[in-house]
Amino acid sequence: MREEATFVSAAPTHEILQDSPGTRLCLLGNVAIARGALEAGVQFFSCYPGTPSSEVGDTFARIAEEAGVKFEYSVNEKIAVEVAFAACLTGARSMCSMKHLGLNYANDPISTMPYVGVEGGMVIVSAGDPSAITSPNEQDQRHFCKFLYYPVFDPGTPDDALRTTRYAFAFSEQTRLPVIIRPTTRVCHSSGMVTLGKLPGGRNEIHFDKDPSRYVPIPINARRMRKELTERFELASTLLRESDFYPRRGEGRHGIMASGVSYAYASQILDDLGLWDQVTLQQIGAYPIPESILRDFLGAVDSVLLVEELTPYMEDWVAEAASRAAQQVPLFGKRTGHFPMEFEYSPDLVEDAVRQYLGMTSRSSLSVDVPELPELPPRPPVLCPGCPHRAAYYLVRKVFGKNTTYCNDIGCYTLGYGEPLNVCDVLLCMGASITQASGIARMTGKRTVACLGDSTFFHSGLPALANALQARDDVTVIILDNFITAMTGFQPSLTSNRGDRGSAGRHGPSVSGISKMRFSIEGVVRGLGVQDIYSVDPYDEAAMTEALKQAKSAEGVNVLVCHSPCMVNERRLGHHQERVPLRINVDKCNGCSLCVRLLGCPGILVSGGHYMIDDELCVGCGLCANVCKHDAVEPIAVEKI
Amino acid sequence: MSSPKCESDAKGWRILIAGTGGQGALTAARVLCGVFVRRGHDVVSGQLHGMAQRGGSVQSSVLIDTGISPVIGAGQADCVLGFEPVETARALSLMSKNTTVYMNTCAVVPFVVGQQLALTRAGAGYPAVKDLIDCLKKVAQRVFSFDAMQRAFDAGSPKALNMVMLGCLLGSEALPCTADEFWTTTLKTMPSKLKQINTAAFFAGVEWAREVGNAAVEASGS
Ligand code: SF4
Ligand code: SF4
Repeated sequence: MREEATFVSAAPTHEILQDSPGTRLCLLGNVAIARGALEAGVQFFSCYPGTPSSEVGDTFARIAEEAGVKFEYSVNEKIAVEVAFAACLTGARSMCSMKHLGLNYANDPISTMPYVGVEGGMVIVSAGDPSAITSPNEQDQRHFCKFLYYPVFDPGTPDDALRTTRYAFAFSEQTRLPVIIRPTTRVCHSSGMVTLGKLPGGRNEIHFDKDPSRYVPIPINARRMRKELTERFELASTLLRESDFYPRRGEGRHGIMASGVSYAYASQILDDLGLWDQVTLQQIGAYPIPESILRDFLGAVDSVLLVEELTPYMEDWVAEAASRAAQQVPLFGKRTGHFPMEFEYSPDLVEDAVRQYLGMTSRSSLSVDVPELPELPPRPPVLCPGCPHRAAYYLVRKVFGKNTTYCNDIGCYTLGYGEPLNVCDVLLCMGASITQASGIARMTGKRTVACLGDSTFFHSGLPALANALQARDDVTVIILDNFITAMTGFQPSLTSNRGDRGSAGRHGPSVSGISKMRFSIEGVVRGLGVQDIYSVDPYDEAAMTEALKQAKSAEGVNVLVCHSPCMVNERRLGHHQERVPLRINVDKCNGCSLCVRLLGCPGILVSGGHYMIDDELCVGCGLCANVCKHDAVEPIAVEKI
Repeated sequence: MSSPKCESDAKGWRILIAGTGGQGALTAARVLCGVFVRRGHDVVSGQLHGMAQRGGSVQSSVLIDTGISPVIGAGQADCVLGFEPVETARALSLMSKNTTVYMNTCAVVPFVVGQQLALTRAGAGYPAVKDLIDCLKKVAQRVFSFDAMQRAFDAGSPKALNMVMLGCLLGSEALPCTADEFWTTTLKTMPSKLKQINTAAFFAGVEWAREVGNAAVEASGS
């Protein structure tokens, strides 16, 4: 039932809101996904930010109101998925996005949702990060297809991403299966040409009809659902067979099968080298791969080179299908050493494999000698100049010393890893700072320190803290509250001041039109039963040191909440105060290097034995002035000209 | 027109913009994409940068009418805009003899270099810019380096560095878009103060690229 409603706004404020079918735009992959969802009439959207998925949610944050989409930055991925699933049970087309690891966090609801089945179409975008560029692991979400009965779409370009998303909602409704779209960094963060389709004239009608046997997967219902699931999954395969996600090109006897961005690379290479008469290229844009498509392709070629990042998922699928159909076609891929098992592919890597496969001269024998470069200095990520985490970490280290175990968490504050701050001895996943601090403290009998940010605390630190409390672990939890989810691009967190739009993250309020509340971490922590709570400003050295000392000598769980805004976000909002320009007085500085050894702030330059403050980078936080024992860091007297 | 051209074996143009976070490389790529999309070209663009913090390496590719891959392969860059010497050198593998390189010689020394040396820990230090240029010249025939930062300062703001560099690219006349057309479609409509600075920076780049281009042609005796 489609309810008529005006959706198309007269003067759209974002280019993806225009209703001009056939228009070609150059869109970022993540933005193309948002457009695809709009073309499908999406009504609900939730997400938890995570690189490289964040721009999907950030785009919705900007357009949701105008597009009439209910939107939220959820507290974590499990919640995002659950709210979106419930929304789809009312008939709404719903979507949620997260990074690859978020899918694991949400796996509990995800594993049973296909049993219950959707009403309105539901699409989960889970962006992958081959080579773990911004994550602690690289994983292959395509396994969710066989693992939990999810159709998984694997777009290779922004245009694929748009068409896939547009298609996925109706497909989800027909099969009643929630579906996963798995773009990877190179698709999410590349821009490419897309062709806009029509925006819908109406949306799904919203109603929730009670039917407990349909919505309650208690065992007796779950077993029935399980049988239906097999049928629905078969239907998915049948529908996909008729879709356009398996294009085939070329007429050679050498088969190449490619999935994800590898398809873009392979197709480009065949174009550039003019190999279409020798090769037939088959794109696999979605799983489960329909048997007939595989049979057809394997019948048309003498051998197949399989090009896919991460795991030999497609390769094993093809091998299995071929053996079932008794098709004897040699397969080359990761299992045969034609491609590495790990990391993302590059066009060069794919070209080498294609050349090897076709018996061509190798690229390396063609290329010129590359001269030996001088060693190029690295530019590792560091905490920004004036980051409040640096101020906090410096004092935490000073009070707790080098023998304490520091358990860190996921966010900008992970950059406390290594020299000179050294406050990251263990790290695992969101919220695990507190649980790891518990486990280590309980076994070693020594107080441990857990450090995590505001967004991560609400994401999954809260139950971990309750757990530490019930065990009375000797843990000091340091919550670095900078009022924003900084690492992923400044999305509002629960402690963002969203009452005043101007001070929210750049993407606006976290729940469209509703929440004006600013959560109190202290209130929450007190409610759980923590007795020792310290609210401190990390730049207030005396108060901070005192609190840390007390926390160190106390028993059981105590919590320090360090409030200080992310400097970069303050700057972008125009909220930072006029800074006092600082300099290092060469007459007083004796080159003791203490500031560098303790802080590692990029605002301090060292050249030819001289210490200087980089006027471009320094935000005037004054931390180095506190550290310097010779009072060498001083304000520059601003002379009037 | 006897200027150096970004020649492409295949069709289209592959441009790499390399710099450090905060130098405006990503913005330059975005502007370039916008201009060519509006002209009716097919544009693909990829970014490679680490975490959100400023100061890290940034590489952005802009591929015009080349196909669907967003990544420039080894030796495939027609033109490299190097906003920073070390970052330009990092892109060496993407260059070939057909590549034209415009490089800003003003270094952004990674703070770790100074700080590591200060603590007498290992670290190579910042290489001599001249050595980097020599290496680039062994691969690419046309390597043009100059203090683009100075031109940006002269134009009114170090933030206009990206406009100087885009000026080089458009001034090279290697692309199917003239500098004037670029100015009309992007800079003309800016607020006046910004427009003034960016225009001055852009045309400083254009002029410089024309000068070195002509000199190069004369030197090669054509
Ligand atoms: S973005 Fe904000 S929180 Fe992150 S390192 Fe920079 S100042 Fe710190
Ligand atoms: S005052 Fe010192 S510590 Fe703070 S940003 Fe400037 S150089 Fe860095």
